[in-house]
Amino acid sequence: MAVKETTASETAASETAASETAVLADALAAPASPTSRLAGARRRLGWIGMACVGVVAAVVLAAVVGQFLVPYDPTVGSVTQRHLGSSAEHLLGTDQAGRDIFSRLIAGARTSLLGPLIVVGATAVAGSALALTAVWFGGKVDAFLGRVLDVLFAFPSLLLAILGVAIFGPGLVTASIALAVAYIPYSARVIRSVALRERHLPYVKAAELQGINGFTITVRHILPNVWTQILTGSTINFGYAIVDLAALSFLGLGIQPPEADWGLMISNGQESLQQGFPEQSLYAGLCIVVTVAAMAYIGERLGGRAAAGRSKR
Amino acid sequence: MIGPELIGIGQLELGIKDPDTGVLKPVLKGISLELGRGEAIGLVGESGSGKSMTLRCILGIEPRNAAVRGRIMFDGEDLLSLPAERMRRVRAGRIALISQNPHASLNPVLPIETYLLEGMPEIRNAKAARLRAGELLEQVGIRSVDRVLKSFPHQLSGGMLQRVVIAGAISGKPDLLLADEPTTALDVTTQAEVAAILDEKRRDLGMSMIFVTHDLDLAAAVSDRLAVMRYGEIVEIGTPEQIRDNPQHPYTRMLMSIRPTLDGVQPALAPAPQPQIGSIL
Amino acid sequence: MRFLIRRLLALGGVLIASSMIVFGALYLAPGSPEQFLVQGRTVSPEVLEAIRAQYSLDDPLPVRYWNWLSGLFTGDMGRSLLTQQDVGALLASRIPTTLSLAVYAAVLIIIGGIGLGILAGTRGGVAERIVIFASNLGIAVPTFFAALVLMSVFSVGLGWFPVFGAGEGAVDRVWHLTLPALALSLPSIAVIARITRTAIVEESESEHVLIAVARGLPKRIILWRHTVRNSLLPVTTAVGMHIAGLVAGAFVVEYAFTLDGIGALLVNSVQRKDFAVVQAIALIMVIAFGVVNLLVDLLYTVIDPRVRLKKGQ
Repeated sequence: MAVKETTASETAASETAASETAVLADALAAPASPTSRLAGARRRLGWIGMACVGVVAAVVLAAVVGQFLVPYDPTVGSVTQRHLGSSAEHLLGTDQAGRDIFSRLIAGARTSLLGPLIVVGATAVAGSALALTAVWFGGKVDAFLGRVLDVLFAFPSLLLAILGVAIFGPGLVTASIALAVAYIPYSARVIRSVALRERHLPYVKAAELQGINGFTITVRHILPNVWTQILTGSTINFGYAIVDLAALSFLGLGIQPPEADWGLMISNGQESLQQGFPEQSLYAGLCIVVTVAAMAYIGERLGGRAAAGRSKR
Repeated sequence: MIGPELIGIGQLELGIKDPDTGVLKPVLKGISLELGRGEAIGLVGESGSGKSMTLRCILGIEPRNAAVRGRIMFDGEDLLSLPAERMRRVRAGRIALISQNPHASLNPVLPIETYLLEGMPEIRNAKAARLRAGELLEQVGIRSVDRVLKSFPHQLSGGMLQRVVIAGAISGKPDLLLADEPTTALDVTTQAEVAAILDEKRRDLGMSMIFVTHDLDLAAAVSDRLAVMRYGEIVEIGTPEQIRDNPQHPYTRMLMSIRPTLDGVQPALAPAPQPQIGSIL
Repeated sequence: MRFLIRRLLALGGVLIASSMIVFGALYLAPGSPEQFLVQGRTVSPEVLEAIRAQYSLDDPLPVRYWNWLSGLFTGDMGRSLLTQQDVGALLASRIPTTLSLAVYAAVLIIIGGIGLGILAGTRGGVAERIVIFASNLGIAVPTFFAALVLMSVFSVGLGWFPVFGAGEGAVDRVWHLTLPALALSLPSIAVIARITRTAIVEESESEHVLIAVARGLPKRIILWRHTVRNSLLPVTTAVGMHIAGLVAGAFVVEYAFTLDGIGALLVNSVQRKDFAVVQAIALIMVIAFGVVNLLVDLLYTVIDPRVRLKKGQ
């Protein structure tokens, strides 16, 4: 930033300038046809963005069909092949049980994405249901649900998830559901504020007066307008869910061995790492970092200039 | 023009570069204006006519993506080509700005006293500075000086805050006062008070002023001459009487004709045609 | 003052509700409470009797809750279901480590996060681009991965820091806790640096900064008194939230570095199904979380005069 050493022209736009030029701004608004929107998205992503899309696509591919394409069985290892380095046979080497790391990474994509998918889905459904109910009925119902959410907010997310796992035992599904419960308050709060705006618009009142029941109005009218927010929130939550679920697996409270899962692999590889063989933990961790970073980058780019920072910088 | 020339704007052009398309949208299309010492000129026009932008050019605070061409001669120097530090000193001591929204102009977390003291860096002694700040507030008609000095901007009303801004503006005894719709954001009764104080202080200290507004009558009341702006151009200049009695330009005539009289509102002329958008630089 | 009392009462209410959740979670588990608490281990009749007494399983539900809660206030948190140790004593010996870790990480977040953000926001150019890139990376790197990478590079690889344990004595402790604190604070430093930079950029384009320029104030004053200082307001809230979040992040790092804090104890207890310990620690964490959040809110009212003083005061 800095008030730069230039000639007389100094900093920033202000409201006055904006209003002066707003009149002519509309003329330059881009048309919104579908093909141009795709082209627009591609333009906004840039080279790095497209690369990120490629990365995410590869991960999804691995998650869906990876288990059929792995060079080695990810759960089977031979004791004579422990801690091998990268080679032609084992692209990324082997772990302490002789299992091929590359295969395990590909296989691990499945649970590493599936879990977050469950989390995000459950959060979106429950969060919207709660938010829309609170918004529709308003008054005491809204206040009561607000209190309930306040209590959930008092728990740090991971703690709630751990508590859930403590009760219902470890595993992909329990960890995912527990994490979803932890995410619901945040999701519900955001959706609620968006839905609230819709709720008080005249057309909703009109529909009410016509005698249409609340459920229909909510689903047919309010929901579509809240949909984008739900989608955006879910995308952001997906990234957090990948990291949090990996953390749970790392703590031994998520996916259980001998399944392949990135978070679990990081944990499995810890002993080896302390002995000087960091490969398993390192590569698994990199997978997580790259996937989450790629998603975050795409989200930022598509989210508009505001998300990415000032255009002039 | 009255008195020796203080500021002369010559063929000022400004365009805003659209970040998406790169096209330069013209905002000011050759503004020329002279102002003498002690003279006040009212810059009148609709929103978007470029009046505020003209003021910002004088101070050198136009938007970053703007391209400027022309000359602004201030007391012998061209402001558009001054190096940064010299320009800063001009802003600090010789030209003062009063903006439209006082609540947005002041730093919300600093008390009024700090705001005023910032404007008098030449007074080293803190106590002397505080006294002077109090004097300035009294000059603009504020009575509970101590309370106001300790207050924060959000605790004061718009009218009160605008007086504070005026006090800050005159503290350095500048040669030129730039008033950008100083009363527009205030309620009607306060508008008159603030305009009166501004006018009075200006005349007392013999400062020149460029008063930007969309209110013809207000401009006429505080200015010696009026300049009518439309779509980035000055279409007519004259004394308030000349403008009222003998408007030359069709736009000015239209402005005169649509002002409500006690006989009823006159029908407006058909709106003027849109300007052509093209590159000006 | 009234504000403070209201917030304390609200916090109290939320904590009571949270304690009910922590308490009641036991009964959500499949099977009877005793079965769950014992988890299929073979126990002697005396131990079983002790467990029944500890949880007042012969009494009606509200009485059980009251016994449990009042017990907590007197410091009696029951006995570990596994080792029969007094839970209170167990926790007391381990809290200092967690506290030291949290404070260390908090300091790093404040100095590193805000410092880097200011650097990026005020200098611009290369420094800014490096900070943005690094922060994008930092956000995507999960704490436990950062922990292992740091461990791999600085402990195993370079041998500068120890691999596990919390050390004895002040200096030794700082040395031992450096890598864990770094790992814990890294994601937060990245986020805070981002937020700080954005806040500075936005503040520099605000109307009052423009007016300050128009008044001819010296560059230094505009930068520090008007831009940076104002931008620290929203930053403080974010920093506070992240420090509160250290409560949750701590257990992952403690587990990875085998520190003797209550976080690691929590994870181990969940793994070993020692529910008494889990309950106690969960409650403590909720209380800590709530208290820190409250302190952050109070801090904000102190530093922002718009909140502190209402109009006309």
